[in-house]
Amino acid sequence: MDHFIQAENFAKISAYLTLFRQGTAVTVLLSLFTVVIGFILALLLATMRLSKFCPLAFLGVDREGRLRDGGVLLAVSKFNPLAFFATAYVEILRSTPVLVQVFIIYYGVFGSLVSLPKFTFLGFIKFERFFPGVIALGMNSGAYLCEIIRSGIQSIDGGQTEASRSLGMTQFQTMRFIILPQAIKNILPAIANEFVVIIKESAITYTIGVQDIMSAVNAVRGATFIIIEPLLVATAIYFCLCFPTSKIIAAFERRMSRGDKR
Amino acid sequence: MATSDKLIEVKDLKKYYNKGAIKALDGITVDINRGDVAVVIGPSGSGKSTFLRSLNLMEEPTDGSIIFDGVDITKKKVVNAEGRMVKLNIDQHRQKMGMVFQHFNLFPHKTIMQNMTLAPVQVKHMPVAQAEEKAMALLKRVGLADRAGAYPIQLSGGQKQRIAIVRALMMEPEVMLFDEPTSALDPEMVGEVLDVMKELARSGMTMVVVTHEMGFAREVGNRVLFMADGRLLEENAPRELFDHPQHPRLKDFLSKVL
Repeated sequence: MDHFIQAENFAKISAYLTLFRQGTAVTVLLSLFTVVIGFILALLLATMRLSKFCPLAFLGVDREGRLRDGGVLLAVSKFNPLAFFATAYVEILRSTPVLVQVFIIYYGVFGSLVSLPKFTFLGFIKFERFFPGVIALGMNSGAYLCEIIRSGIQSIDGGQTEASRSLGMTQFQTMRFIILPQAIKNILPAIANEFVVIIKESAITYTIGVQDIMSAVNAVRGATFIIIEPLLVATAIYFCLCFPTSKIIAAFERRMSRGDKR
Repeated sequence: MATSDKLIEVKDLKKYYNKGAIKALDGITVDINRGDVAVVIGPSGSGKSTFLRSLNLMEEPTDGSIIFDGVDITKKKVVNAEGRMVKLNIDQHRQKMGMVFQHFNLFPHKTIMQNMTLAPVQVKHMPVAQAEEKAMALLKRVGLADRAGAYPIQLSGGQKQRIAIVRALMMEPEVMLFDEPTSALDPEMVGEVLDVMKELARSGMTMVVVTHEMGFAREVGNRVLFMADGRLLEENAPRELFDHPQHPRLKDFLSKVL
């Protein structure tokens, strides 16, 4: 091979254009489903981490109804199972490789515990591979988004909560009308960044047979023994997905912040 | 102006931090009657704000009780009208206690109108049109009707605090709690906020005001409470308290601020 990139190779792989087109559709769908699942999961996890649910609180109070000064019982009384499990989940998911998580979900959970119906939708997406991919990536990004949401909620001045509660609004109403709208605006750049990360990370699902862009590259290589040119095509597609996405969200964010400065 | 009708009874209220190492409130007992304008003064760190914030349970007291409108709101469970034990719903009681903060705490993502109508619509299920009408009337009362569509960031400090006051009034509270309402304001804006508070006092609103404005205490208050080291050291009518202070700590404090 005298040249790193050869023009005729592009001509050869153009026969496989449909694979790339389908792969792009899979990557986009996979990322969209992932971000929705991840966001819902993250809201739940962040709520759990910030909750003040202490079912053993009664242990921290002595017979006369006063708070104990210290000791094991006081420590136990502060135990919040919701926060504990959410924190454990987040830390485990953030401290292990996403490839391992994808394999555990695909081969472990959906390989032996749960059996999925095998069917193809939209003409080319294999459900039994696509679904575990979405679940695994969603679970992973849920952990990261949880931390983003949590920091966003905690960044809102405590005076906002006090003002809302002093008007008689409940904890839930305060969260919904006062804290979350402000927090989400603050964390929008971080969420957009996470969405771009998901698009890129979704490439890993080709290892469990999801027919995304990377899987198209692999298929072309298998059929033609050409590797660099399909990889460049994949690079271009990923760039065209990620770069505009971050730009669109940046523009959206500018519009939102203009709303309250004007 | 004041009647003997008790609105809030505070009994031996205590708030400790670090297992009692810091006593922010060390046994406060006082009654607030309907129509009272009780002004709380004292050196910084004396527990004035903690006391005020305990009244609507923004701070949870360590010990003691606060009986508001006949209900001890420091208890987790109360006896309801049918004589059954039910969980105390603090939100219901907070609706009746308006609070104004040092740093205004307007909601920055909502317009002035939305700031005012949110709680009545969500909590009291008031129709939006009715809430907006009510808000407009209150805005006219404080001379800010033309700013209804503005966002808090577009207002001056004095305007923000006037909005914060009428926002609390939207819930038709039985008592208004003011936590150093003029301390974060530029000097030239203090007057406009105090004027609104004076007008409110004249209308018969029960008020508890923590402030450093001795002029306001003397002119508007019918009772002045002096706090130091988490204790209520002296209480009297304003003229008596300022002209004939008894406690050495009060004498010392007044010599520094007057």
